Order: sequence, then structure tokens, then C-alpha cells
Amino acid sequence: MISAPDVVAFTKEEESEEEAYNEPALPEEYSVPLFPFANHGANPWSKFSGSKFTKDFILISEFSEQVGPQPLLTIPDDAKVSGTFDLNYFSLRIMSVDYQASFVGHPPGCAYPKLNFVEDSKVVLGDSKEGAFAYVHHLTLYDLEARGFVRPFCMAYISTDEHKIMQQFQELSTEFSKASECLKTGNRKAFANELEKKLKDLDYTRTVLHNETEIQKKANDKGFYTTQAIEKANELASVEKSIIEHQDLLKQIRSYPYRKLKDSDFHPYEPECVVDQANTIFDQDSTTSNPAEPSEMHHHARMPSYTPKLIKAKSAKCFDKKLKTLEELCDIYFFTQTLDQLNQIEKMFRGDVCYLLTNQISKALLKQQTITNFLFEDVCVLDEKPEKQYGGCQLSNQDTVNTKCLEQFLIPKVLISMGSYKSSVESVPIKMEQEIEDSQEPEVTEPIAFDQENLEYLDADIKGSISSGESIEVLGTEKSAAVLTNSESQASLPIQPSPQMIRSKAAGRRTISEDSIEVLSLCPSESLIPEDFKASYPSAINEESYADDEGRGPYLSPRLNPANVKEMEGNSEEEKLLPVDSACCIGKENPNFVESLPDLPQKHCDDDDGVVSIPPQPYRQVDQGFHVNFSDCSSHDVSGGLLSYELDPHYLSSREASKISLDEYSDSTSYMSSAASTCSDRTSSPAHPLSHFSERHRKKAGQNALKFIRQYPFAHPAIYSLLSGRTLIVLGEDEAMVKKLVTALSIFVPNCGLFAMPVNHWITSPLNIMDFQKWKLIGLQRMVSPAGVNMLHSLSRYSRYISILDVDSKTLRCPLYKGTLVPRLADHRTQIKRGSTYYMHVQNILTQLCSKAFLYAFCHHLHLPINETETEDSVVSRRRNFLKFHLGLVNEDVKVVQYLAELLKLQYIQEPIRGSNPVLRFDYVPSFLYKI
Amino acid sequence: MSALCPPPSPAVAKTEISLNGDSPLLAATFAYWDNILGPRVRHIWAPKTEQMLLSDGEITFLANHTLNGEILRNAESGAIDVKFFVLAEKGVIIVSLIFDGNWNGDRSTYGLSIILPQSELSFYLPLHRVCVDRLTHIIRKGRIWMHKERQEHFQKIVLESTERMEDQGQSIIPMLTGEVIPVMELLSSMKSHSVPEEIDISDTVLNDDDIGDSCHEGFLLNAISSHLQTCGCSVVVGSSAEKINKIVRTLCLFLTPSERKCSRLCRNESSFKYESGLFVQGLLKDATGSFVLPFRQVMYAPYPTTHIDVDVNTVKQMPPCHEHIYNQRRYMRSELAAFWRANSDEDIAQDTTIHTDESFTPDLNVFQDVLHRDTLVKAFLDQVFHLKPGLSLRSTFLSQFLLVLHRKALTLIKYIEDDTQKGKKPFKSLRSLKIDLDLTAEGDLNIIMALAEKIKPGLHSFIFGRPFYTSVQERDVLMTF
Repeated sequence: MISAPDVVAFTKEEESEEEAYNEPALPEEYSVPLFPFANHGANPWSKFSGSKFTKDFILISEFSEQVGPQPLLTIPDDAKVSGTFDLNYFSLRIMSVDYQASFVGHPPGCAYPKLNFVEDSKVVLGDSKEGAFAYVHHLTLYDLEARGFVRPFCMAYISTDEHKIMQQFQELSTEFSKASECLKTGNRKAFANELEKKLKDLDYTRTVLHNETEIQKKANDKGFYTTQAIEKANELASVEKSIIEHQDLLKQIRSYPYRKLKDSDFHPYEPECVVDQANTIFDQDSTTSNPAEPSEMHHHARMPSYTPKLIKAKSAKCFDKKLKTLEELCDIYFFTQTLDQLNQIEKMFRGDVCYLLTNQISKALLKQQTITNFLFEDVCVLDEKPEKQYGGCQLSNQDTVNTKCLEQFLIPKVLISMGSYKSSVESVPIKMEQEIEDSQEPEVTEPIAFDQENLEYLDADIKGSISSGESIEVLGTEKSAAVLTNSESQASLPIQPSPQMIRSKAAGRRTISEDSIEVLSLCPSESLIPEDFKASYPSAINEESYADDEGRGPYLSPRLNPANVKEMEGNSEEEKLLPVDSACCIGKENPNFVESLPDLPQKHCDDDDGVVSIPPQPYRQVDQGFHVNFSDCSSHDVSGGLLSYELDPHYLSSREASKISLDEYSDSTSYMSSAASTCSDRTSSPAHPLSHFSERHRKKAGQNALKFIRQYPFAHPAIYSLLSGRTLIVLGEDEAMVKKLVTALSIFVPNCGLFAMPVNHWITSPLNIMDFQKWKLIGLQRMVSPAGVNMLHSLSRYSRYISILDVDSKTLRCPLYKGTLVPRLADHRTQIKRGSTYYMHVQNILTQLCSKAFLYAFCHHLHLPINETETEDSVVSRRRNFLKFHLGLVNEDVKVVQYLAELLKLQYIQEPIRGSNPVLRFDYVPSFLYKI
Repeated sequence: MSALCPPPSPAVAKTEISLNGDSPLLAATFAYWDNILGPRVRHIWAPKTEQMLLSDGEITFLANHTLNGEILRNAESGAIDVKFFVLAEKGVIIVSLIFDGNWNGDRSTYGLSIILPQSELSFYLPLHRVCVDRLTHIIRKGRIWMHKERQEHFQKIVLESTERMEDQGQSIIPMLTGEVIPVMELLSSMKSHSVPEEIDISDTVLNDDDIGDSCHEGFLLNAISSHLQTCGCSVVVGSSAEKINKIVRTLCLFLTPSERKCSRLCRNESSFKYESGLFVQGLLKDATGSFVLPFRQVMYAPYPTTHIDVDVNTVKQMPPCHEHIYNQRRYMRSELAAFWRANSDEDIAQDTTIHTDESFTPDLNVFQDVLHRDTLVKAFLDQVFHLKPGLSLRSTFLSQFLLVLHRKALTLIKYIEDDTQKGKKPFKSLRSLKIDLDLTAEGDLNIIMALAEKIKPGLHSFIFGRPFYTSVQERDVLMTF
């Protein structure tokens, strides 16, 4: 394997030193250190401890024609940044060479001075003795008073880490090029203005000289020219020549961007906001005005008022004049923009390069996981830099998250969405009340505009259910958005943009006697039209057995398509379809299926042999509805009751839903504390909205979480609740304490969609069942008033849906947890010292969890019978074995993965439910009370 | 790259090099700072092509540029500094290695540069480290030879009372040529056979219907696991180029796009030479069914290497990073010391010197069996084949796996950073780290440490303290804590 002839001397150091030849040993300067990080007390975090500055900074330097290279400013603009590092010396080093020198000088035969439009140069160099390494971006600005009209500048990113500069070279180059282009654009504008002023001065001077010459001519009666007259004539000629020269310069500077645009790789700087109107007036009188020139020309504005003055034709080249500052050389707007950009660059590349690299790699990898990102990732962060490259790789810009994130903040319309309730138990009429509330949270539903009257129509408070603790509540079907879109009433609604975002909220109230079984079906988020409710009727509900034979888990799942439901209603044969496990997006192969990719979700319903033959493409535009599917949960079945809604004969149709009248929903008897349930209370925006976890927040959340797992011995069941989709209420009197705990626990909460915000840090009003669907972690104020007692009572009624962490009494009421997953996530003996490190650890475990859920959701042949003879039991058994043996899950861990897989599938097969979580989970398992 | 440029004066010696394929390299130059004339070019190497992209004058102009400003050079003793230029005005990129050396009895500054067209920037950047490492080492040797030349020169002056300036330093040129040509060949081979940054998973083993379809399950597990344990650095040898390339692509799936661009596929007709510093490279066995790896170059690779033979399904790996770096440094020092002692040109001929008189014998058995089993890759392989092939499901699952690895690596770095206060204190809690970060399996720790080493160089050496311990020894020591 190894070639012997290649073996060069491999002698021990000691032996080589004892050479018989007695030759001097190899000087250390010609050798290599045996330990790369042994010198200067260096270690991987401080490879060069001798450097005189600690943090990276940006230096702008100039090669002044008067004093030579000199530093101008640093970013951050703080003397401490550079420490004792000699900026003058370093400026000399980086500016001593004209890296922009061109082979070709002024073209021969040209009568007028030519501006040299040189490209920026980029140089990476260092000073190994000082431990300073720099990316240096050389650029040239124009100055009418400068030698050759040029002023060489450079912007340098200086760091002690040599590898960082090279590893981030392309990113640095891209960012500095943008800043440079901004500065140069401003400079061209300022230069053009300066030329215009000069031209006016020259024009004025010419007029004055001309007049004086004429006067002299008239006064000249001697018949010959005096010396003065000759001088005047020469001066006039000089002025005229100067005018032509300056006109030519103006033409050159103005035609530059137009010429450059022809280069495919030229990207002119585009300001982010409109420049002052006064500056955008195009100078029509300009000698070189060209309407076809690009937008940059509009910045070459005519000065509003300038009084020309008499000047000398030849500008004195003196060295005692003050050169323009960088700010004067550049239009102020562009100068400010450039500084902003440089500040941004400094922040962007700040810190250890290992974090930068991993961040870039992670972003690239996350872009390949659009289907799972919503669960635990900060999706907006992924799109901060859509064109970001890593390792020289141009990333594909295919995700849609960016636009969605933008949409989230930019929709300026009044949006509304209402939930509707409908029952799936035919014999039990349910009265329900539809409510909405205002919210500050931007709603990203279909932008249905409402006028004020319609808003009033929907103005109602949220009510809580007062059903007995023994009853069974199940959230159900939602009216599809597609139906709404077709609504005539909606079509007639005028669009009236409003700065206030309206968020709808649906809540149900029941007047059902105890011991009844009722199933609620609601539309939690999608926009509904009030008229739809007016025209609806009480719904009938089909009762379903508690334990379903198939052993499906207690999940409530959205429907794929109302059309399918209609089919089911109309055709009882649909109920006898072969069991298609719609939970599995991968099924049996069906070659024909490829032909009908666009109708994939519908095919799921119609085709018992439905197989997904295309890669995951999230956010299919599919109507959604909630369905009820009872299953046996007491046995802790591993089947998980994955999506089976299509085949469930008891699902409600949209037609049924339309029969439910809004009036019918009204139930004054169950009204409870409506006054306390103010809109502002209920919809108070979470302190940390989804996808905007700052680094600081992460650190804080990590710290709090670390404290939590160390202080609370029952942290595991609490975290298990969150991971399995069971809403956790953090109850307490002290707002700060509650919020702190909610922040800590928020890192464990899976998001239910890109736009759903599952955490509410502080609520002061009573909760209802809708809240548990919407929020999975709630900070709730404990009130000492009688209302507070009621609130606690209602919480106990909801104990099937929720876990309650009482901050004041330090107790937790929730189901038992005996898995192994959470202990790895939250080990109270962990030696992790910092919150940010713990946050990273949690993020890591959650990524693994995500991966397991993805595998389970999309596993081939896991959810469907392999052949027709295979029973459902064997399929269930296969799933159970898969979870146990292939994913290594035990006990309750199974439910966590099932829940996450459920969310993944919902996200995959349908339009994400905006502003609300699609699943309300409940368990028929006893809760335990944990105490410290 | 303008045609107009001042003629070089005096004429510069030039070596034209014939390459098999297209060369992305325009030229290489060796320049020095003359105390009277300023920067001057000593030698130019250029690929022999029909179309001359840069004239000698232009090359000289650019090479002079690289030394401009170096009169202000402020470097540590023995430092070889790297300068990198992207000169859009000239349409070129230049990589210069600047160093001080003794010549003509004076200490002067020298620059060895390679020049590429600017259009090759994205091609070159992933290969920057490979090129710089290789040129750096040849400079180390060349510098010693220049020093020795000076001594011999003075002796000659004393004896003959004559001085011929032009003779001095000449012998460094053949030495540099010995590395410049391989670098040109490397870049040329990468131009034609580098792995693309985006790999179609259908070209890899991961597209098989089931594990074991293309290659044995245990072999695949060992190969990927060891590949990750050696920082993604692997050599795949075999008799079938197709088979080799399938494994090469499979291994490259576990690399970043930039690292893939620093990997090379196997050539069908005849094998490439082994190139030190590439991440994954496929090499074809010769007619005798063997491929000889150059020991020296394997040792000089920045990371340890995994050796994979697809014919016999064997996987061998080199010791972990810190041990590899330690051995590499020892080897380098030995080589330079031997060079320092060499008396004649014959002694310094590259890669041919064997010192039989030394009592120390290098351990040629650098490739050993994969000892440490991991759970990460095993679980991944167990699971990924449950997903239907042909869709993007496996790609998504793979990206999740890689994300987990990268995040674990960063968490590990952060953990050590916290524990040691950014290296101020020694790290003593490896056992806690393993438990806290769920890295109790040795193979898992190796994989994550290897990944961490790539983004935080020196981590292995820092953690495992005395780098000359073998992996086994250090584990024994550390486990006693």
C-alpha cells in the first residue's frame, strides 16, 4: 500500500540533534513547529495571542496625495476596537501599492483628460508579526481637485484569524462590493454636482471676461492690443477650453453607469428608499442628458440654487489646500447608506468563524428540509440572505418561506377568519357561538377584506366550554377555505385596507348536559364569512365508538378536500373503500399515479392504491377540515391514528357545516366572564413571536431552561407534554416568574405550522378549548378573585387536554412519562454550563427527533397493507415494531414521534393553517400530580 | 489581461510545461526583491498552450505587483505569508507566498506566485488550501537550499576569488519546478474530474432499493463511518472506475459543496496520481491489481485518510487528527533536517532519499482497521433505506443527518469552550462531555470530533493534550478522570 522508495528520512528529533557530523542543527526559522498551537500560549480559540486587538473591525484608509496612506475611520467607531494596533502602519501596508493600476494609461491622441474607471481590486494579506490579517477592498473615488481626479481608498476587514478571511472570502467580497458600489454611486453623483458647479462658475467667468474684453476693445482706440487685453484674451481662451474639458468630464461620469450596465456582471447600487425629491430632478439642461440612462442618473441632480462665482481658469495645484473628506466626496445619503452597510458587514462577520461556517452550512442544509423546518427551526432566519453562499456554493433559491415571511408582515389589509363549529354526533344538537376578537398579531390567512359593518357582525367574546369533566370533547372539522372563496357574500365585500390587523378567533360554547358525548368540529383559522353562519343549521353528529378497531390514536386531523367529503356523503360505497392509510404519504406503487401529480391529495382520497410518487412538496393548496376519529388510546397503541379522515364515514361534510347557523351557536348560559375575556388579553402577542428568536433570546431561553430542568424534578413529564402536543399551562400569580418559565419551556414546543405561534407568554382571561388548539404553551395568571376560582375550575375540567404547571405551589399535573428521549434532552445532572450551549444541545436533539418523525411519516410500506390479505392489525403491529426497533423508541416516546409525524403530514399535504394549530390532542390517560 | 504592457527587462527565464488536459493556471512566477531594482521576476512557469493568454510582460508586471509593498514586510521569523489578489482590472487572481531568505549574502524577500484567470475564482477557492500547503512546503525546502547555496558560494569565492551573480540561487528553480508542475497537473485534473458540488443521490449507493444491493452492508457502514472519522478525507481504490466513482460520490454526499469541489473522481483510462490534500479521490489500480500510495504525501495531507478498497471491501484508517498532525510535523521536521544535512544535489532529489543509517524506522503501517464503532452512521443506514428511493425523501433525510452532525460538532466546540474558558484552562471532563452530548460510543465521538476539527482546527490537540500519545493511550488516561 505504501511505496517504500517514497519514504524520506524519518528520524527522531533527538537523534538528529546528535548527528555525528556535528553540523549545526536546522535553524528553527527553517523548520516547522512540532505543535502548531504550542507557541505563544495559543489554543484553538486564540491562535495568535500576541495580537494587539481582540475583535474584528473594518478600517477605511486613503492614499492621500498630500500625506500618503492614512487611516480615516474604523467600524465600530471606537478607539478601543483597534487597541494598540498601529493603524497608521497598517494603512501604509495595505495602501502602499496601487492594486488598481491599469496596463493602459491615457489613450494617446486624446485632447481631454479622461477619467479612469477602474474596477475594484480585492486583496487578502496579513502582518504575521502583528497577527493582523485583512481583506482589503480597493476602490477609487473621483475628486475634481485631486491629482488625476482620483482619490484611492480602501475598506479593510481586519481580523486576527487568517483562515477566517479566506474561508469567508466570497462572502466578504460580495458584501464589500455592495458597499463600494454604494459609495461610488454617491461619489459619482457628488462629482457630477461638483462639475456642474464648476461649469457654472466657468460660464460666469467667461461672461465676465468676455464683457471685460469687449469693454477693453471699445476703449481701445490706439489700434493695437495692450498686454492686459492679450492676457484677458488668453484667459478667456483658457476658460473656454476648461469649459469643454469639464463638459467632457461630466459626460464621462454620467455615461459611466449606462456603459457599465452593458456588462452582465454589473449591479448598480439601488437605494432602499426614495432619495429626496429635490435630488431626483433630472438635469435636462445638462449637456449630456440622456433619458435612456439608468436610474443612477436621476441622482445626479441639479443643485437647487447655486450662485456662480468668478474663478481662475487654471486651478492652482497647491498642496496646502484641504482635501475633501470622504463624507464630502460622496452624496450624504449614499455615504450614510455605505456606513450602514459596513456596520452590517461588521456584525455579519463578527465572532468565531466556526459559528459562521456552521451557520452557513446549516442554512444550506435546512433549505433542503423545507418540509420539516417549521417544527423547530427559525424559518425566517433561513431567508435572511437568500443568495448566501457557503463554501463557494450558490444555493438554490427555491423555498417559498421568504415570501411567506414577508407576507406575514406586509399584509396591510383587514383580515378575518372565523371558526365554525359543527357536530359530528347526529342526535345531539349543539348550540354554538361564533366569536372573533381583535388581535395585534398579523394574520396570514386568505386576505378577505371586511368593512366595518362586517367586523361589528363578528364582534363577540370568546366563551369557554362548561361541559362536564366526564364529557368527551373533540375538535372537529373546519369549513374549507375554498368554499369561502366561492362565497357570494365574500365577493361583495369591499377591500378596505386598514392598519389594524384583525384576527379572528372561534370559540365554542355548549349547552349539553353532563355525561353526553359530543364532538365539536371547528374551523380554527381560515377565513369564514358571517353570512355562511347565518344560513347554516344545527348539525347532526354521528356517534362513534370510543375505541376504534383500528386502534388509531387520538388525533384530530384535517380533511383534505371537501369535494371528497361530498362524495362520501353521496355515495355510501365510499365508506367501503379499502383502507388507505392516508397518514402515510408513501404508499404502494402505482405507475399511473405519476400522471396525476397535481391532484395528489385528492388522489389520496379516491385511490386506495395511492402512492406518493413525487418528492415532498409542502404547502399543497388543499382545503382543510377537521375530522373526528376516536380510537383506543388506553392501550397506548403505537399506531398513532394517523390520518384516516378520508375514509371515516362520520366526518362532517362542508354542506353540513353550512347548515350551522351562527345564531344557533349562541349559548348565553355557558357564557362565562366575558368581561374578563377582553380581546387585548386574549390576543396579546407573544413576547417572542415565532421565527424571531434573537440570539439573545435563545441564550436567555437556554439559561431559563437549564435552570428549570435543574430546579424542577418533574421537568421530564412537563417537556413530554409539550413535545407530544399536549398544551401546558404555566399558572402563577407573578407575571415575571410565569413568563420566565414559559420562555424556558418555549424551546421545547414544536410549531404546528409556519405561521402558528404556539406560545402565549401571559394570559389573564379564562381559557377555553380553542386556546388549547391554538397555543401549546400558555402562561396563565392566577387570580385571587372569584373569577380566578372559576378559572381553576374550568382548568380542572380541561385536564384531559392540558397539563398544568403551578408555579406558586410548584406542582405539575400531567400524564406519566417513562421514556428515554426526554432524559437525554433534559438531564438535570448535565455539566453544560451556559444557556446558549444548552439551547444548542436541545436544538440538536430536536433535530434528531424531527428526523425520526420524518422517517416515520414517510416510511415506505409502513402505513399501508403490503397486500390485500394483510389485516390492519398487522399493519399496526408493523408500525409498532418500526417505532420500537428501528427508531429505538420506548413507552411514551412513541407518542412524541407520532405527534411530530402527524404535524409533518398535515403540513405536507395541505395549505398550512395560519394562525392556529391544526391538531388538538387529548389523551384518555390519567394525570398525575407531581410535587417538589 | 491587456496586450499592452511594458516589456520585461532583462528577459526572464521561462519553463513551458506540457499538460495532458486544459490548465486553469495561466502561469507561476518566482520573484524577489532586489535592493537596487526593486521587485524582479526570476522565473516563469507557464503551460504550453496554443493560445497565449498572458504575455511574459504581463506576467512579469503581475509578479512584480505581488512583491510591491513588501519592503514594509513585518513578519515573524521563518514565516511564509500568503497574499491573495483578485485584480478585476487585469482579470486575474494571484496567489502569492511571500517569504524571507538569504541570498547573495543578504536577506531578501521572495514571492512564489500562481496566476489564474478571474473566471476561475470559484473553481480555485476550494483548492486554495491544497495549493498553499504544497507550495509552502516546497518553499521551506527551497529556503534551506538557498541558505546552503550561499555558504557554498562563499566558500567558492574564497577559493576562486571570483563571483558570478547569475549562478546564485539558480538551483532553487529546479526544486520549485518539482512542485509547480504537480500543482499545475492537479489543477488540470481537477478541472476535468472534480466532483460536482451538487451530487445526484441516484448516482450513489444511497439510491439502492435496499442496503447491500451495491455493496456489502458492513462495508458501507465501515466506509462511511471511517470517512467521517477521518474528517471526510478518503482514498477509494479499485479496478473498476465505475464502482470507484459510485463510492466516491456516496462519500462526497457527506461533505459540504465546497469540500466536494476539492474531491476528484477516478479517471477511466489510467489512474491519476495520489494528490495530498484532496478530500475524496478515486484511484484506479494498475494491471498488477495494486495502487502504491506515496507515504510522504499521505502523511502531508492535512487530515488523516481512510483507505477504501472496493475490490476486496476493506476499510482502513489513519490515526485521529492530533496523532496524524503530530506524526506529520515530526516527518516534516525530519525531512527538513535531512535536507539541511544533505551535501549534494543527489541527496536532495525529492521523494527518493532513504536514510538507512537512522535507527528510527518510520511506522509505515499507518492504515489500520476501523476499531471504533459508531451508532450515528449505523442508525442512519438502517433507516434511510426505509424511505422510497427515487424521490427526494432520502436527500431530505440525509440533510437532516448532516445537520445533526454539524450541530453536534458545534455544540461540542461550545461545550469545550465553556468548560475551558476559551482554552485558558485544560479540558478535563471528556466523560461528562460524552454523557451530556450523547456521544458515549467511541465512533460517535470520533465522528463529531473530526467534524469539529475541520471548523475549529487544533481542537484534537488541545483536548487530548500530549499529542504524541496514541489514541488508545490517551483514552486510558482520560478515562481515569
